[in-house]
Amino acid sequence: MKVDLTTRVKNLVLKNPITVASGTFGTTDEYAGYVDSKKLGAIITKTITVKPRAGNPMPRICETSAGMLNAIGLQNKGLEDFIEHKIPYFKKLGVPLIVSIAGESAEEFGELAKTFDGMKDVVKALEINLSCPNVETGGVNFMKKQERILDVAKAVRDQTDLLAFAKISPELGDVLEIAGKVIGQGIDGISLINTLRGMAVDPCTRSSRIAKDFGGLSGPAIKPVALRYVYQVKKEFRVPVIASGGISNAHDALEFLIVGADLLAIGTANFVEPQATLRILKGIEEFCRKERIWHLEDLRGSYRPAGEKGEGYNR
Amino acid sequence: MTIKKYDEDVSLLENKRVNGKYFKLAFQSANLSRNVQPGQFLQIRINDGNDPYLRRPFSYYRITGKRIEILYEVLGRGTEILSQKKKGDVLKVMGPLGNAFAENLGKKKRILIAGGVGVPPLVFLAEKYPTEYLLIGTKSKAELMPKPELKKVRAKILCSTEDGSYGTKGRVTLLLEKILMDQHPGEFFIQTCGPKKMMEAVIAIAAKYGIEGEVSWDESMACGVGACLGCMVKTRSGLKRACADGPVFKFEDLEL
Repeated sequence: MKVDLTTRVKNLVLKNPITVASGTFGTTDEYAGYVDSKKLGAIITKTITVKPRAGNPMPRICETSAGMLNAIGLQNKGLEDFIEHKIPYFKKLGVPLIVSIAGESAEEFGELAKTFDGMKDVVKALEINLSCPNVETGGVNFMKKQERILDVAKAVRDQTDLLAFAKISPELGDVLEIAGKVIGQGIDGISLINTLRGMAVDPCTRSSRIAKDFGGLSGPAIKPVALRYVYQVKKEFRVPVIASGGISNAHDALEFLIVGADLLAIGTANFVEPQATLRILKGIEEFCRKERIWHLEDLRGSYRPAGEKGEGYNR
Repeated sequence: MTIKKYDEDVSLLENKRVNGKYFKLAFQSANLSRNVQPGQFLQIRINDGNDPYLRRPFSYYRITGKRIEILYEVLGRGTEILSQKKKGDVLKVMGPLGNAFAENLGKKKRILIAGGVGVPPLVFLAEKYPTEYLLIGTKSKAELMPKPELKKVRAKILCSTEDGSYGTKGRVTLLLEKILMDQHPGEFFIQTCGPKKMMEAVIAIAAKYGIEGEVSWDESMACGVGACLGCMVKTRSGLKRACADGPVFKFEDLEL
């Protein structure tokens, strides 16, 4: 029997919950030789800004225990290029597209939202990147002032009725408080979590191993933190959640589904295994079949809180 | 059109130390050995699980039929673990990745300048295509390529060591300058790979003598396929990805 992996996020129906975290799947077809992207439930783009951004100097990345630090700095060719050169590719691909957007001001976020509102044949949702740790304006430092986050949420909501997710991180402050406030502004869902700022020092040079003092930590190292926030936000608000943070295999993915994640965004794992997304999808299906779960919805959010484990916990 | 890329489990045929500097690893794969050119590279997953997490890029060193050889230095934790792998162990390998050195140089004579991790791809190039000179620089004699590894190279091989324990004492760029001063520089085309400082010095010498050339430029990489934008290189036509647009760039295109 086939397992029904259909994932519904408000009015958006996806064939499965697997997507890719922003910035980890190239800008268009970099992984096309390795993965049949058509099998993904959705694709989240690399963050698009109004103007092109060159990003940060080299070195931008270094490996750390069970993960990596990056300070790419939202390098992208800007909105115009995206519309001209990337949108046609995604339109042809036919996979629901979630566009990640970042502005240097609420107005820019609004401008981006308005533009994509006019492309609903391709763009099915927006992910509002409020938590990039590697940029001066519009990133995690800028957004620390909560009224700025709320201005951005409002600016996006005023310009589009597209499904909108706010991507937040504990670096911004209290995740639950911020999530509650952006939901209050009419944002549909939350994307959790962005990278956590970290540091790595080369003892020989006494300086950072990347060109910035801090970079965003991603990979399995941050998974337990991400899982906790997904669980808490889901429990508190019951809104759609895109989960990301070190999901590397089907076991990780199942954990996030069980605490209630709607979409699972595979990130750094793509760099390690180009086939990670499809391998995880297959693993989820196999688990469900083995457990005789025929609809993924029956597994999603089935977490038994500590103290309420009851029968069957120790299977 | 999308070019088919490969990510395969391979079983090691050998993995052994060849001298004070290098280990040699070999495996067989039809897909990973087909139409490969010197300068291209592979991404190797050192271990399953999370440590080390990212793959490591290695240049192709030699291809004989389906047999692929890689020559590598132990430079950190990843290569340390790799060096302990035994015959029969399985590794996941992606490739072939990146662009390649120019093979046809017209009437120009090929002169190769290699150091460190840059030696293997340039030996590959010298074995495959007509080459006038192969210049190799190391710190000392102990780190030189073992003689049998160089026996298929028909170029004139000149070595320099920083401590003078073998060949010319000093940096490899001394050898290059001497050749260019003694001969007609305009006849040569340079191809180089090695430590950044060495490559920068080679590019500066090439500019001084008005010679064209190519460099295999590397930066720390994560994905190896152009997705993460971790390994950017500044060029005259903007930022390029060392892994996907390179690693080989023309001297004149780089903005150092």
